[in-house]
Amino acid sequence: MSSRVLLHVGTPKTGTSYLQDVLFRNRKTLAAGRIRYPADRFDAHFLAALDLMRMPWGGLEAEAIGAWDRLAEQVREHRHTSIISHEILATASRSQIGRALTSLGHGEGAEVHIVLSVRDLVRQIPAEWQENVKHRSGIGYQAFLDEIREPEREGRIASWFWGVQEIPDILDRWGHDLPPERIHVVTVPPAGGAPELLWKRFSQAFGLDGLDLDLEPDRANPSLGVPETALIRRINRAANRDLAPADYRPLVRELLAHQTLSRRRDSPRLALPPDVYPWVRDVEQAWVDEITVRGYDVVGDLAELLGAPPSDWADPDRPSEKQVAGAAVDAITALLLDNARLRHTEERLDRELAETRSALERAYLRPTYRLREKVVRRLQRGRVGRGLLRVYRAARGSSSRSA
Amino acid sequence: MAGAVTDTEAAVARAWGWVAALREGATTPWREFAGAGDRRGHYLPGAQQLELLRRLNAAGRPGATLVERVLTASAPGRGRPDLELVGAAEESRFGPRPVDPAELPDAELARVATGLIAEDLVTAGPPAPVRDGRPRPWRRAYRLVGDPWLADPIRAELRRRGRPPGGKRPTILVLGTDLGTMLADAWTARSFAEGGAGWREWLGGFVAHDRTPPRADLVTHARTWADRVGRDRVQIVVSTEHLPALVGVRRPLPAPPAYPADAVDLARRVSAPLGLLVLPELRARLLHETLGAWLADAPGDRLGIPAAHVEWVQVRAAGMRDALLHAGYAVHGDPDALVPDAPAEGSTPDDAGVLRLAVRLLLDHGGRRSEEVPE
Repeated sequence: MSSRVLLHVGTPKTGTSYLQDVLFRNRKTLAAGRIRYPADRFDAHFLAALDLMRMPWGGLEAEAIGAWDRLAEQVREHRHTSIISHEILATASRSQIGRALTSLGHGEGAEVHIVLSVRDLVRQIPAEWQENVKHRSGIGYQAFLDEIREPEREGRIASWFWGVQEIPDILDRWGHDLPPERIHVVTVPPAGGAPELLWKRFSQAFGLDGLDLDLEPDRANPSLGVPETALIRRINRAANRDLAPADYRPLVRELLAHQTLSRRRDSPRLALPPDVYPWVRDVEQAWVDEITVRGYDVVGDLAELLGAPPSDWADPDRPSEKQVAGAAVDAITALLLDNARLRHTEERLDRELAETRSALERAYLRPTYRLREKVVRRLQRGRVGRGLLRVYRAARGSSSRSA
Repeated sequence: MAGAVTDTEAAVARAWGWVAALREGATTPWREFAGAGDRRGHYLPGAQQLELLRRLNAAGRPGATLVERVLTASAPGRGRPDLELVGAAEESRFGPRPVDPAELPDAELARVATGLIAEDLVTAGPPAPVRDGRPRPWRRAYRLVGDPWLADPIRAELRRRGRPPGGKRPTILVLGTDLGTMLADAWTARSFAEGGAGWREWLGGFVAHDRTPPRADLVTHARTWADRVGRDRVQIVVSTEHLPALVGVRRPLPAPPAYPADAVDLARRVSAPLGLLVLPELRARLLHETLGAWLADAPGDRLGIPAAHVEWVQVRAAGMRDALLHAGYAVHGDPDALVPDAPAEGSTPDDAGVLRLAVRLLLDHGGRRSEEVPE
């Protein structure tokens, strides 16, 4: 089994997609360095997480059946270091975590480490709301804030949010059986700093220093501005009932959000409302104090978890209608172009199909059949001819037309 | 003082004592429990799991396997995470608030139960498929479409009798009944397949958009087939008593299974975790055939249209009847039967009823040790 297993379990919106892209793309190089990233498809660990946590995800779950056990088996087959990474693992229950750790060899000689990448809540909260909206949610920003601030946390959104963001709780669930030096907290540097800094920290935490990896960003997860997010939310409310999840993903999330609306960089960015900042700051401070006390290995600086107070604030629940209209025009243009592309494809396929059919006819027909078919076609054009055909068919006793 | 037990240690011991008592079959609620026990395991099971076990103990005698399965279960899908017992440990500043398990809503307990029932279904597997009879050469050509909850069992029975659908120039029989029943059938068919929204939410959506669900929309069924084969070959069948003569059999045809509202809702809730264990085709078979058999004698009222929507249903049904008559299809039975007259009796599913059913199913079928998931 793997001597060392590095389990990266969250949190979302901390550069996890970039990390997973690099790991996936560089599997061979990693393998040469005796590090295994067991994945036959880029979302293999996502499916494994869905399987472990028995979580439906808009129809994808059928592909996830058995995925965790397959992943665990590959980890056990390997002899050195294995890396697993997906951010939804943060919200796993204690029983699922127990199963996960056992299946990876914990307690049988494998040295399991937990890695958690973290970012200040001032940036995480608007980012999580946006993620909700990009996953078909129609909830407004203020309603979202109200729900996550509710102390009982009974609603689904609040349960999910704190399940994937509350750092001390996540580490308590995943790490309560592990010594603190095997729990690594990687902090995301504040905005505006050197872009490679986060990668350096990941590299340090996962032991990738010295490997020659291709670091080109592949799947950037660009964020949307205030009017763009408001637009997607309105689209969700209008179209969700009729648009299946399998169509929503390529059309709304990919085409509109990621490929079109994220290009509009001049619109105001999503931020925390200034009146919520004091409460957020208290929560952040409590977490920093707790992590310090617990003595985990910190890669970065815990002070970075105390976010800067928000400066520009534009309310996504009351956006500039002019900006939303501008974003809508961009969205419609993108959809028109995509629609035109599909129509051309359809025309081309129709042509190819017609050619294929006639080629098939030519290949199989005898000369007399062609003559007979010509006669039938000529007869069908006239009323007398159709009557003659009916008589002929009745006399023949079976219908040559399909039901 | 050496040997003094702190408050926290006493609280933890009490919690483990309750777990041990529940393992032995106790039904004492957490609030009233006053015992102690040793730690047995890495973590204390969640409040939802413990309360579900207590309910199982109150309703019967769960076997040791079932007890362990409940204690190590997670609640599948999204929702509240495993919750701590209030008063079981020093209250942490982090994580979800501890709860008194008796105050947990039934829906939360049902969530844990449905995950376990899904596993039981996979272990039990589907019944052996029934072979179709040899097709009779003199059979009539037909196709049976329309309300799927009515049509599917009839089609299956006709196959067994050697009269499969199809043939040369088949007559298209669009089977329906009053719209209230068809709406309930549509949601029931959905619950035993892909699952989805609850009854009120699902129906409310269609009412809000003034649309008929596709499975219950006879007009669209008829029109689709009329476009394909011509209006003359499409016939509407409003009551199933006409059906045997139309398909050329003498013995009567089966009525669909009649489940109470709570049973249908339970199937709906099991569908989601089951979808993570088996592929959709097997899931549909497990729900229809295996779970259906388990729910065959479940008590409770059948599904009914909520009072607020009765008028909408009547208006919609009248519109459907008029559209079918206007289009000129042949109709077997009284077209007015499509319009429900009085508000039908019935109820909507209720969390407490669903949980009671789930507990009963676990006691009856959950005792076995789960084996390898069959492919």
